[in-house]
Amino acid sequence: MQITRNLPNRRKSYFQWMLFALMLVLVLPVIPYIYADNSESSPAVISVPNPGSDLWREVRQRDYPISSSTQISGINSNVLIDSEGQKWREYRIEKLIPYGAYILGAMLGVFLVYFLIRGRIPIKGGRSGIQIPRFTQFARWVHWITAISFMILAFTGLVLMYGKYVLIPLLGPEGIHIPANLSKLLHDFSAPVFIVGLVFTIFTFMRESLINFKVDTMWFLRAGGYLGGKHPSAEKVNAGQKLWYWSLVFGGIAIVASGLVMYFPNIIQDRLLILDAHIIHTIASIFLISFMIVHIYLASFGVEGALECMTSGYCDANWAKEHHDLWYEEMQKEGKVGTRFEDQQKSEVFGQSQAADS
Amino acid sequence: MAAMKFYCDAERCIECNGCVTACKNENEVPWGVNRRRVVTINDGEPGERSLSVACMHCSDAPCAAVCPVDCFYTTDDGIVLHDKDICIGCGYCFYACPFGAPQFPKDGAFASRGKMDKCTFCAGGPLADNSSEEFRKYGSNRFAEGKLPACAEMCATKALIAGDADMVSDIYRKRIVNRAQAALGKAQQLRQRNMGSAGDMKGKVTN
Repeated sequence: MQITRNLPNRRKSYFQWMLFALMLVLVLPVIPYIYADNSESSPAVISVPNPGSDLWREVRQRDYPISSSTQISGINSNVLIDSEGQKWREYRIEKLIPYGAYILGAMLGVFLVYFLIRGRIPIKGGRSGIQIPRFTQFARWVHWITAISFMILAFTGLVLMYGKYVLIPLLGPEGIHIPANLSKLLHDFSAPVFIVGLVFTIFTFMRESLINFKVDTMWFLRAGGYLGGKHPSAEKVNAGQKLWYWSLVFGGIAIVASGLVMYFPNIIQDRLLILDAHIIHTIASIFLISFMIVHIYLASFGVEGALECMTSGYCDANWAKEHHDLWYEEMQKEGKVGTRFEDQQKSEVFGQSQAADS
Repeated sequence: MAAMKFYCDAERCIECNGCVTACKNENEVPWGVNRRRVVTINDGEPGERSLSVACMHCSDAPCAAVCPVDCFYTTDDGIVLHDKDICIGCGYCFYACPFGAPQFPKDGAFASRGKMDKCTFCAGGPLADNSSEEFRKYGSNRFAEGKLPACAEMCATKALIAGDADMVSDIYRKRIVNRAQAALGKAQQLRQRNMGSAGDMKGKVTN
């Protein structure tokens, strides 16, 4: 889109519509194949009835609790038959896996189209060269530890969920073992890091993510200015970022709680609890991963000048003026525009407020 | 196409756990893993019954459907086997299986699961038949020698029968017919005896 930016406006919009039409032409014919592939997936079932099927049907359909015992030790070893897993199987294969794929695919598609149409959002006033301290080193460490562990967890989790459908055709039936086994291992080892990171994230970014009803509603009504129109005013973090924060709080807690249930298979052995935990874990993960796509896009290549806040800790004054005007005014009032974190630490020693922190 | 199945006759099973022992001995399974177990319903009460349970080698196996790495396969004889070199020990098969057949040795960090182990119908695994590596990973391969599973062959009361589904059904059907006949005969005997005890041949049944 760098080339088109220099073209006259009318030709630019024609070009955008042509690109959009091209996307539709490319994507629409694929949709029937996705559906067709799903319906064909049931393998050829051998139609020999099990001689014990009547017996087992009777055992399963007892409507009163029976006492059953066994001399064999093991998880639920005294249970003859428990068809609870069947519901989980159907839910996982018919709902979670396809709808998860649709949601993630749609999210990626929307941002790809958005990027093709809108391109990178530049700093309109250009770089001023004046920097404003935005995130302390502590906040940045917390962010990146959480972010990296989350991305590892998301990627390895997706390998476990979709590897069967994506990696087996690519790598062959034996080839999936290495990425899948590595994914399970990495998933297990990144989880504790993420839990610690999540707890720190919740406390570090809580103050700036508290909801300011008037400003945040206005931000949502104008869709953050991403769909055109005037950029709505925002505080240190805008309403979308606040939503991401609170999604991370509640979704993260759901993921951690359900994950911990599955984490110790030899301690927690309640089958129903584990199956429910698995479903909650999957739904919350799909939700957070799709939000992560939004966050990564808008905070890195989607918006010029956004990524440096989390890498260097400083943002450009003009960027702050355009995207976080209320915060910019506040920083101006406090005289922090153009200062360094080191200066503030000096003033903290003298008993001043920690306003600049976090 | 043949389909190998187990059937356990609840009228015959006496909960001797001979099948469990035979299985453990034949396949030398790891500690804590039980491919077969005997479950007793209403133990010590009227109507007590026992059933021997292991992998049922389902035609539409739930374990295979949910496996994230697709390590299961069904042989031409309808036996559901799995590849331990592909298995990652996630435990999904255990949650999907209604019979609790998949077993996991405790292994690795965080007391996580090792590679899944389950009944193979004494048919080994994907490795070369009766190789030492196959025996170490999957246990005995009696099937390649033309033999049935050790548990069924060992069963003292012939409660547990294994083999082709049609043949197993035939055996069981004959047993049902014989049992019905025996029950009828017994009822007739009982009736004659009771009528006899009444003495006056009025046909009044007392008992």
